[in-house]
Amino acid sequence: MIAALLLLIPFLAATLLVVLRPTKHARSVALISSLATLAVVLMAWATYAGSPVVLADRDWVPAWGLRFVMGYDGVGLLMLILTAVVFPFIIGTGYGEKLQHPSLVNALLLYTQTFLLGVFMAQNALLFYIFYELTLIPVFFLLLYWGGERRRAITIRFFIYTLLGGLSLLFGIIYCMAQGPTMNGDFSALAALNLPIGVQHWLFWVLFLAFAIKLPIFPFHSWQPDTYTMAPMQGTMVLAAVMLKMGLYGVIKLVFPIVPDGVAFWRETVIALSLIGAVYGGIIAFRQWDLKRLIAYSSLSHVGLICAGLFAWNSYGITGSLYQAFAHSILVLCTLYLCSALKERVGSSEMGAMGGLKVRTPRLAALFLLVLLNAVALPLTQSFIGEWLMFLGLWQVHSWLAVVAVSTIVWGTIYMLYAYQRVMLGPDKWQLEMPDASNRDHLFLVPLIAITLILGVYPAPILDLVDPSVQLLLSSLP
Amino acid sequence: MVMTDLLAVLVPALPLAGAVLLSALRRKFSATVAGSIATALIAISFVATVILFSGFDTAAGGRTVRVLDWLSITGMDIPLALRIDALSLTMMLIVTGVGALIHLYSIGYMHDDERAPTFFAQLNLFSFAMLMLVMGSNFLVTFIGWEGVGLCSYLLIGFWYTKPDYNYAARKAFVMNRIGDVGMVLAMALLFHFLGTLEYTAVMENAHSIPAWGLLAITLLLFFGATGKSAQIPLFTWLPDAMAGPTPVSALIHAATMVTAGVFLVVRSSVLFDLVPYTRDVILWTGTATALLAATIGLFQNDIKKVLAYSTVSQLGYMFAALGMGAYSAAMFHVTTHAFFKALLFLAAGSVIHALGGEQDIRKMGGLKGSIKITFVTFFIGTIAISGLPLMSGFFSKDLILAHAFQHSPVAFGLLVFGAVLTTFYMFRLLFLVFYGTYRGKAHAHESPLTMTVPLMVLAVLSVVGGALNLPHLFGGHEPMKHFLESAAAAIRSEEIELSASTEWILMGITAVLVFTTIAFAYGRFVKRTTLEGDEADMPLLKRLIAQRWRVDELYAALFEKPYGWLSEHFHSIGELRIMVPLQNGVGEAALRVGNVVRKLQTGNASFHLLAMVAGIIIFLVITLLSN
Repeated sequence: MIAALLLLIPFLAATLLVVLRPTKHARSVALISSLATLAVVLMAWATYAGSPVVLADRDWVPAWGLRFVMGYDGVGLLMLILTAVVFPFIIGTGYGEKLQHPSLVNALLLYTQTFLLGVFMAQNALLFYIFYELTLIPVFFLLLYWGGERRRAITIRFFIYTLLGGLSLLFGIIYCMAQGPTMNGDFSALAALNLPIGVQHWLFWVLFLAFAIKLPIFPFHSWQPDTYTMAPMQGTMVLAAVMLKMGLYGVIKLVFPIVPDGVAFWRETVIALSLIGAVYGGIIAFRQWDLKRLIAYSSLSHVGLICAGLFAWNSYGITGSLYQAFAHSILVLCTLYLCSALKERVGSSEMGAMGGLKVRTPRLAALFLLVLLNAVALPLTQSFIGEWLMFLGLWQVHSWLAVVAVSTIVWGTIYMLYAYQRVMLGPDKWQLEMPDASNRDHLFLVPLIAITLILGVYPAPILDLVDPSVQLLLSSLP
Repeated sequence: MVMTDLLAVLVPALPLAGAVLLSALRRKFSATVAGSIATALIAISFVATVILFSGFDTAAGGRTVRVLDWLSITGMDIPLALRIDALSLTMMLIVTGVGALIHLYSIGYMHDDERAPTFFAQLNLFSFAMLMLVMGSNFLVTFIGWEGVGLCSYLLIGFWYTKPDYNYAARKAFVMNRIGDVGMVLAMALLFHFLGTLEYTAVMENAHSIPAWGLLAITLLLFFGATGKSAQIPLFTWLPDAMAGPTPVSALIHAATMVTAGVFLVVRSSVLFDLVPYTRDVILWTGTATALLAATIGLFQNDIKKVLAYSTVSQLGYMFAALGMGAYSAAMFHVTTHAFFKALLFLAAGSVIHALGGEQDIRKMGGLKGSIKITFVTFFIGTIAISGLPLMSGFFSKDLILAHAFQHSPVAFGLLVFGAVLTTFYMFRLLFLVFYGTYRGKAHAHESPLTMTVPLMVLAVLSVVGGALNLPHLFGGHEPMKHFLESAAAAIRSEEIELSASTEWILMGITAVLVFTTIAFAYGRFVKRTTLEGDEADMPLLKRLIAQRWRVDELYAALFEKPYGWLSEHFHSIGELRIMVPLQNGVGEAALRVGNVVRKLQTGNASFHLLAMVAGIIIFLVITLLSN
């Protein structure tokens, strides 16, 4: 029931938009659909009792022994919640962006949501893969038709790059399924594979490559800054707030259980690469003058830390990483929205064209500041909980890794404070007439900021959701 | 019991409520109303603290109030909890007491500022954060306050945000604090790694089970965190720049409370520091070096607030020197008296600045003792208190540190006495140049309103009699503050002066003679004739170097700021544009032919593609359903 609702609501709403093209009400239709999805997910959360839930389990392609299995555990539910929470805001951003053909834009967004929800419910590797790749299609068109400068070249580069990763993943999955006649590709069956160590060493990269590109971690990130900068605001939001979380989810569901020895062998390498990215991205962000590009590099930095925490491969690291994944989605929505709101007023996302805006827009400046607190992970914000847990997790792996990870609180502070100052502080040098934060701005930012503060003070709802699943995952590892 | 718990929660909750209320309704309130609300709330917190204090039984040791579960997952339980014991009560009294006076003062000082309600909201928020810092029952709750005060400091330094210099100062303060925070976070991670808890009581009980290298690392990292917050070498350069903030902020945050957080942290963790003599030596010499370095810089500064700022850095150095000698209660005593007289000096300086319409250059002052009498008298009291004239509060607290130094290390003693002489000199130079001689400016000086002068008078009284809080045996007292603090930090019990009474009298005599000689010298130099510092370019080399603050700022700029910018640019221009992008294009080059094929499939019509996609999905679903 829940599975059907979650897949059908956005899918039907999207199809409705494509067929009827209600230009005027397109955003409202999409918004209602996304709110309905949110309601269903929240209901699922309310009834979740702590043990994995199976939503559907039936034969799919009997000839190959494939089955259509859907369900979720705490981790999956967290991702569903994240997806459901994020989309109303992404669609809401559309009220300010005013793109051509709003019905098509919103349809594409809803298709993306459908497939994302599918990814997070799939309990079969092939099913997972299909949804995983399907998400790429609507996003591809979103970028290609509504992107900014050089959109063709950048979109195709992005598409090829992620597709290459995807092919590698497909090969890995088929390889696993070829391991025995009874292998149907269910996650539970894959976890019991027990592949030889030698195989696990190379298979790790075959499976992980797709996720490394999707996240992305250093040095697989070069598609990301251009794509984030060029994409329409809502596209960037989809990419940064949800799509990259598929990478984390994939690591937990496919990489950890199938190739645990491979993980044990490679994890320090992956952590090192991730942390290099975290520091590298944080340092680069400091001298970026385009707000969107700055957000892209800051995202590289944050995601590097999240991936490092995940590969700490212990209770604190994984829990912290998942917590931070949620925090990062909220954060990136806020920063991108701010960027959009500023662009609306100034006409550009170049910080060189801003400065001293606080004089004109004190409310917007206050909202920016509240977002900044979460960005630099001050205690009592959501990010602090995640970062603190990840630092502990990394400390258990190696103290020097933790030192590098903790250093990011300095790099992050530097570029965020510079950005805030370059945009908001200083004399009112442009003397532009501009409106202060509107009702829409408040409607968008205040709930998100409230989430970051509430979950910073009282993180139990998410921690209690994730903790048992993480313990289960760790206990099943050798 | 329930009553005391409620009071304990109330103490930080009231200023937090004030911060939320005032920032939400900042457009509705006038400066006076907002200021009154903020002052009233912190005053009630003070009253609550006094009630807690008077009902506190040192024999019971302390009490933990668990407010909320915070971080609890398998293997970890870190609650939001408050600790009421002698140490937190001492700090709470300072924060709310001195804080309330400074809030009151601000009503007058910020009267004409149109953003005054925002100012009071942030001042209240600061009080909340500072109270969390001192009341936390575990390191992580303290860290909430630790970061919170850093944030408020950032906001208040940059309060007048249209001035780029101020913004720079604010940012510098925050970043330097964050650098120190790296040490704090790592120390907490280590402690949790070894003990599985961050509760102060549990950590101190099990401290001996931590291996030696761990203790060394933890204490050094904690101290590194303390240098950031308390402006010690190497992270001291932000504090003088922080004077960009409104003067009450300088008094509250950058003199009386926030900057003493590092001292508090070391006393809170004194059990750990007692186990590692090496770290204590590091603290002793860092503190002594900071005390001297900052005191020398204070000699030639011309900005009234900058002189006081370097003086603060220097006095904090004394506190850390005391900590390094294991004299924890002596350090806390100096924290307390320093809160009185330095808050007084800053507020009085603010009153001078207020009277002169914003003038801060002492070369353009002089002869003000006739026109602003209350300000003059109170500033005078502050000056003799910090210089340690006999029977003033600063006399007792500084002499206690000097006595410890004498029995601990003669070299440190000598250096700290020299520092005391420098302190007297730069303070009396300030006093004489501002209030004596003839007026060298153009403004018409007028005395400040009562809301400003009443706090001055109260603080002046405290600066005089504050020594009674810890009156030594030599003067017929029995060191009440030391005995009070013993119940919170066991390490204080072993902190004894083992000098004979005659030795102590001689030590006091020496410093007193030196202080009076210095005053006479300063009198000759600045009152009999007025010696003003001229252009830096004409100074002899060493003096110029000191006047330019030993060029530490320039050194840091060359060592860190510029290379960081260079790194940021070149990571991008070389790392990204020359290496990463070409690399990726190389990978993509092979795939490009495939890409060309993909391109030919595109008709350029969005709806066609959508249709194709929908068709694909429907086929997919049909297969799924049919296969059942």
